Parts: sequence; structure tokens; C-alpha cells
Amino acid sequence: MILNLFASGLLIQLLGALLPLLIKSDKRYSALSHYTAIAGVSVSFIGTLGMIFFQSPGIINIFENSVWGILSLRFDMLALFFTAVVQLLSIPVLVYSLSYQKPYIEAGKSIRLSVFSFITLTISLQVLTIANHAVLFLMFWELMAILSYINMIFENEKPEVEKGSFVYFVATHAATFVLYIFFLILHSKTGSWNFSDFHITNDGTALYYVLFALGFIGFGTKAGFMPFHFWLPKAHPVAPTYLSAFLSGVIIKLGIYGIFRVIEFLSPNDPIIGWAVLLISLMSAIFGVWYALAQHDVKTLLAYHSIENIGIIGMGLGLGILGISYNNQVVAILGFSGALLHTLNHAIFKSQLFIGSGIIYQNLHTRNIEKMGGIVHYAPWLTGFFLIGSVAISGIPPLNGFISEFIIYNGLFHSGSMAPYYTIFMLLVVVGLALVGGLAVACFTKVNSIMFLGTQRTEFKKFTVSAAEYFSIGLPALLCILIGVYPMPAVRLVSGVVEGLRFNSFRLASQGTSFYMLPDFFPIMVIFVLLFLMAGIFYGIKKYRASKASGVRVSKAWGCGYQHLTARMQYTASSYADELNSIPANILLIKEHARVPQDIFPVRGACFESHSEDYTEKKLMMPVYEKIVSVLKRVGILNRHDIRVYIAYMLVALVAYCIIGFLWKY
Amino acid sequence: MEIISKILIYLIFILAAPLFIGIVNKLKARSTGRIGPSIFQAYYDLRRLMRKETIYAGSASFLSRLAPVVSFVSILFAGMILPIGFTRPLISFSGDLILFAYLLGLSRFFQILGAMDIGSSFEGMGAAREATFAVFAEPIYFFTLGSLAFIFGQTSMYGIFHSITLKDPSFLVFIVVASISVFFLMITETSRMPVDDPNTHLELTMIHEVMILDNSGQDLFLYQYSAYLKILIYATFTSNFFNPFNAQNYVVGFLVYLAVMMLLIGCLVWVETMLGRFKMKSIPQYLLFAASIGILNLLIYSFFRK
Repeated sequence: MILNLFASGLLIQLLGALLPLLIKSDKRYSALSHYTAIAGVSVSFIGTLGMIFFQSPGIINIFENSVWGILSLRFDMLALFFTAVVQLLSIPVLVYSLSYQKPYIEAGKSIRLSVFSFITLTISLQVLTIANHAVLFLMFWELMAILSYINMIFENEKPEVEKGSFVYFVATHAATFVLYIFFLILHSKTGSWNFSDFHITNDGTALYYVLFALGFIGFGTKAGFMPFHFWLPKAHPVAPTYLSAFLSGVIIKLGIYGIFRVIEFLSPNDPIIGWAVLLISLMSAIFGVWYALAQHDVKTLLAYHSIENIGIIGMGLGLGILGISYNNQVVAILGFSGALLHTLNHAIFKSQLFIGSGIIYQNLHTRNIEKMGGIVHYAPWLTGFFLIGSVAISGIPPLNGFISEFIIYNGLFHSGSMAPYYTIFMLLVVVGLALVGGLAVACFTKVNSIMFLGTQRTEFKKFTVSAAEYFSIGLPALLCILIGVYPMPAVRLVSGVVEGLRFNSFRLASQGTSFYMLPDFFPIMVIFVLLFLMAGIFYGIKKYRASKASGVRVSKAWGCGYQHLTARMQYTASSYADELNSIPANILLIKEHARVPQDIFPVRGACFESHSEDYTEKKLMMPVYEKIVSVLKRVGILNRHDIRVYIAYMLVALVAYCIIGFLWKY
Repeated sequence: MEIISKILIYLIFILAAPLFIGIVNKLKARSTGRIGPSIFQAYYDLRRLMRKETIYAGSASFLSRLAPVVSFVSILFAGMILPIGFTRPLISFSGDLILFAYLLGLSRFFQILGAMDIGSSFEGMGAAREATFAVFAEPIYFFTLGSLAFIFGQTSMYGIFHSITLKDPSFLVFIVVASISVFFLMITETSRMPVDDPNTHLELTMIHEVMILDNSGQDLFLYQYSAYLKILIYATFTSNFFNPFNAQNYVVGFLVYLAVMMLLIGCLVWVETMLGRFKMKSIPQYLLFAASIGILNLLIYSFFRK
């Protein structure tokens, strides 16, 4: 019954993608297509929730075949959780996508392909998460990559779009290639194609570690862990905003889903693996937020913040692996559930922030935050919603970001006693996480104040936000507050998912027990509710006193006696972040271009600008890439442009295969 | 019954906050050869602010109106987590030391936004500095209190402070080390002398004062009160390390608390009299130094007790 709801939801979405193609008018096509898809996603979201809270059908076989094995779908808690995340966030993003397309339709741009591919993208993600067969999974994984690429090149007339999306295309395929190897090795070791059978134990061989590394790199590239993150800040600014929101909110989370599966398959019980994950994540978190601080392009900035948050999620994962390694049930549960909850939370507030940035782009036509400002006077609600997302992503109470970071902090504090000297290591990690928190506050105060507050740096007369846009940014904002002040249902959900994780021979906890190992959120809930109440009361008293008892007056801002403050005299984002960015300036590769005023009577044209470049891209990837190109050029001698030579190559290859195969067999 | 006494104690704590700063200012004036204002000056200032009209800049939005309230309320809640003397705090649960730091972060977040709301570069400068130094201040807190949390296996402030006993001589070292680094933290977070100068109105040289330049009346009242409260909270935080003189009696506990507070005021006055303001550039070094003191705790614990 519930499964039917889920399936019919998917079917409605598919109809939404296909049937309206018959309609002639682009406007009506887009509207109908989106409405049907939204309805379908909502229906299957209810189905998913039903399966999570009532009864999951387990593994469902679709068909059996001697070559493929059993092609099946698996509805375990982990898959359902990620399906729910996909569906939950699809709703606001689809609503936003509809309003995003409107100006393009009016301008006469063809939007059919991108609307169609976006809706099929949401469908493929929902199937991807429940696929149990490795080949089925990889098929949908590939579909996800291609469909999001098609969406990314929406504005393909711009040269930077082509460049940025190509980086994405290459990165995602390199990662998929790694995944092919990963799944092939798994298949050869277990003899099955099914996720539910992929369980191998750590036999201490190098192959095991290589396998884990392959899985982590393959999925971690999608998720955006630090050395493999380089495509994220390239792809996000060029993608249309609804896709950025979806990419950062949902698609990179599927990388996390993959890593969860890798952990399930391999049941890593070596602390070295845990530490490797933990340290990579810590690096991603710290440098992700530091790079973010140095950006002026709001979408690049948010992309780097995704890397930071993926880092925080990864810290939970690393902690969970350490917990398994030392048989410390509590630490493992805290780590994994913190990671899961942060996945949900980040999906919520990151889509929200991206949608916010898109609404601003549509009004001001710029992504450079140095050119924004003063929006709060035109769109106070938008400012408020964006502010909620910012507070949440900085991990500040009383919103949801705090809840998940709190669980991870608790895990770190619990892990001090696992092995000697762990107190010191874990303290350093705790301090690292605190540093990330401090930097995130610095970054998001910068974003909010430069983008929204003060006076207009670029003049604009009107700022319109449609009801649909308000809905698509307001719904996640509401969720941020809800999970913040009433975290129990979400925490119970992730603890259920953690119980559902199936390692090779064990589960972390029996059903219904792990919730009680997580921190008690009741006092926090009380405090947060009181916090809201008290803030309201004090605000009321203040307002009353100010207006009735002592009076309110609006005057000019204080300018040290100067009367003509202009928008250009406001503090800039670069100077706000300058002091912090100057610390790791060698890693952020900050380049400054200044044209100093000349002569006694300087004329116009003096300017200063600074920007940061990605260290991984410039110093790690590019040299390797150039090396590869130079090697390939040398190999290029073999390229003879003569069909007979190619046939000879094939012959040689065939013979070599035969010989190797013969030797292998006997 | 117990909850009422706790609330009463906390109310007295809140009401006493301006007195603390009054005493510090008075003693500082005396030690620099001036007579100085009355120790109740802070109360007079607050009463005056209460009556003044509230002026907003033309470029100010709802955030200017909201920020002082959020900033004040979150500090109010942070104070509830802290044990005052030996009493059990109003709020205590495992993990509250994280909430304490993040509530102060909430207060800072909104104070920065409130400052940036005006769009003036004066406030911008102060806000940027506040954000920068907070990045260094947060590690100090977690180094110090986090190391104690690991040592005692407790994550509530009350639990940590009550695990400090004099039974083990190595704890004496912790007390000294931790209280020094929290003292450094206090100076940074409450904008006192070597980091920031609360008295100068030379806008280029300060952090906290420049952020509230455009606030007046009710808003300034809230900001000032939260600054007073914050300094008392940090002072109490430092004094809590001296809990081992384990008083279980209200009168003795109160006397110990008062004595430690007076000692702290003495230190604060001494530091402010002897030192000038640091250059802005050298403040991060100063903060990193404080952070490294914090980790000493753990090194001592790990290497000498195992």
C-alpha cells in the first residue's frame, strides 16, 4: 500500500516530465510539468515517510536473469533516509525552478530540455538511492551526472558556463570510473552484484585498503572532500540557481550516501581508516570555510561552504569508523547519527541559501557581493529567511545546524577514553571544529551584512520576490527552526537509520536503543523555546519603552562629523575578511591588483581588487594534468591515422588478452 | 523551592553585574592617580540610557532593532549555564559547555549584524575585528574547558567544576593554568585593556565601542548591560576554578567567591594599569599564546599521570 504510494508518486513525476511535452506553449508546458512533478514528489515523499515510520518492504526483486543476477530495489533505512532528503528538498527547488524559468521563457529561450532533464534528474535520484544492484546504481549515477550536466549548460551561450560545466563533467566521470573499479572488485570478491551481499571483512591485505580508498575517492569526489573538491566552486557559479541549490543541497549528499554504503560494505575496523577520514574532513572543513571567506562571488562562496559542511559530515563519519574500530558503540552511534543529521540539515539550509542568492541575482543581475547592499529595505522577509539559513549553517543555536554539530561534539568528547593519548588528538579535533564555527560566523556575518544591509552599492529601484519564491525559501527556513527547537523527531529518525546500518556481521544497536545513547535534547529544547520567548518579550518591552516612554527618532548615521556618507564609503567584503585571509594567504593564493592614484591631482581609475585561487587546482591538479598531457603527447606517436595500424593494434591486444587469460586460468 | 533560590541567586547576579565594572573602573582610576567615578556609576549610566530617546540611523533596518535584544538574551542564557560559586546553575546538562560557547556566538553574530546594518565603515571596522578575534578566542575556550572535559570525562560545566578537587596535586597546576587562560579569554571577549580600550573614543583603535557607535537609548542600554553581564560571567568562570576550596556552606562559599572576585578585579586593574593597548597586528599572537596555555593542561595530564 505504502509502496504503491511511493511508486505512483514516481509515475506521476515521470508523466510530468513526459506528457506536457505535447503542449505547444513553453509557458504552459513549464507550469504543467512542474506542477505534476511537485505533486508526484509530494506523493512519493509521503510514501517514503510511511515506509520509514511504519513498515519498510525490505528488498523487492524486479526480475531475475542469469547474466545480471537479481535486479532488486532495497528499501532499508539508509536508502529511505536519503530518498526522503531528496524528495523533501525537491519540493522547494521545483517550486523555485518554475519561477526561475519564467523570465527566460518571456525572453524566448527554449527551456524544454532543461525542464525535462531536471524533472528526470529528480526521478533518477529517487531511484538511485533505492537501487540494490550495482549496475542499476551505476546507471542511475551516470544518469544523474549527465542530466545535471544538461541542466548546467542552460546558459550555454556564455563561455564561462561551458568551461565550468566541463570541469564538472570531467570530475564526475573520473569519479564514476573509480566507482566502476570499486564495484568490479567488490563483485569479484563476493560474486554478487547486490548491495545487500557486498560484505567483506578486513583481512589486512593491501587490497582492502585500496578498496576503501577507491570507494572514498569515488564517492568523495561527488561529495566534495578537500583534495577532490575542485569542481564544486567551478560548477556552482555557472549552473542555473535551481540546479546549484539542488547540486549543493542534494546531489553532493548522494556522495555521502555512497560513503555510508562503502562503510557498510567494508565494515572498516582499523583506526587508521577512521583517522584518515577524520583528518581529510577536518581539512575540508577548515579550508573550505577559509576559502569561502575569501570569495566575492556569492555562489562560489556557498560552494566552498558546502565543502566545509561536507567536512563536518565527514568528521561524523570518521568518528563513527573509529567507534567501530574500538568497539565503542556510543561513539559510533554519535558519529554516524551526527553525520546523518548534518546531511539533512545541510540539505535544508544550503538549498535555502542558494535560492536566496538566485532571487537576488534575478533582481540585481550580479553575483558579486561587493555590488549588493541595501536589499533589507526592499525585501525584509527575504533578508530574514536568508538570515535564518545563515545562522543555521554557522551552527549557531537555536537552529538546526547547532543540533547536528552538538551531536558530533558529543561524540568527540566521548572518544577521549578509547585509546591512550586520544584525549589530546580529540581535543585538537574539537578545537578544529570550534575554529570552523568561528570562521563560519565570520563568513556569514560578512555575507549577510554586505549583501543585505547598509545602503545600495548598485542602484536599484524595485526588488520583487514572488510568492513562489517566498515559499521556496520560507519552507526550508521553517524546517530550520522546527528541527532547531524540536529536534527529537529528527534525532529519532537518524538514530533509526543508524540502527538500520548493516555491517558485515553486526549492527550497531538493536532497534530503539540508540536514541537513548544520543544526547538528551529535552533541556536544549526548553532553552531554545525560552530563548525565543524571552527575545520576544524583551523586544516587546523595548519597543514599548522606546515608543511610549522615551521616544524614537530616525537620524543620519554617525560619520565623524562628515555629512555626506555615500554607499561607496561602506565597509567592503574584502576588507571585512582581509585580516583573517591574510593568515593562510599562501594557501588561499590571494592575488591583489591595485592601481594606485598617480600625480598630485589623481584622476579617476584608481582601483583595488583581490581574489583567491584554489590551491588544489593550481598547485596540485594542474601540474599533474600537465604532466599527463605531456606524457600522452609522447604516446601520441603511436597515433598513425592509418586504419591498418589500428587493426594491427587490435590484433596485438587480442593476442595479449588471450595469453593473459590463458595464464590466469591455468 | 530549590529552583526559586536558583532564580533568586541569578537575579542578584544580573543586578550585581554593573557593580563589578564600577569597582574595576574605580580602582583603575585610583591606581592611575585619579579619583574616578563612583562604583555605582554604571547604574547611573544605565538609568540615564533608559530615559534617553532611541535614535536610529536612516540606513538602519529591523536588524538594528532586533540585534541588541538577541545579543542580550543569549548572554542572559549563557549566564544561566555557569555555576555561580558552588551553587548548581539554573541550566545544567551534559554538553552544556558547547551550548555556552555557541550562545555567546549567537550574541556575537547579532551584534556584528547590528553594527554592519548601519553601513558605516566605522562599525564595519569594529565588526571585522570582532569577527577576527572571535575566531581565535573560540579555540582558547575549547582548549581550556575542553581539556578539562576530557580529563574529567564530563561535558557539563557544573560537572567539570565539581570534579576539581585538591586531592590530586596535579590539579593545582590545572587550576593555575586554566584560570590564566580563561583570564586571557576574558580580556579578549569583554574588550578590556591590552586587546581593546573601553575608554578611548578614537574610533580607529577599538573594537567593541566602535560597533555600538550608532546605538542609543534603549538599544545602547541593552548592549551596555550585556557587556557588563559578559564580563561578570567571564569573571565568575575564572573564579570557578577555585572551587576546590570546596565550600559546601552558603556563607563560606559566598565569601570564597567574593575573595576570588576581588583578586580578579585586582589582576584586571593591575594589567590595565601596567599595560597599554597592543598593536592590532599582535593581538592574534597574544591569543594564540593563550590557546597554547590551554593545551598545557592536557599535556600535563597525559604525560605525567600515565
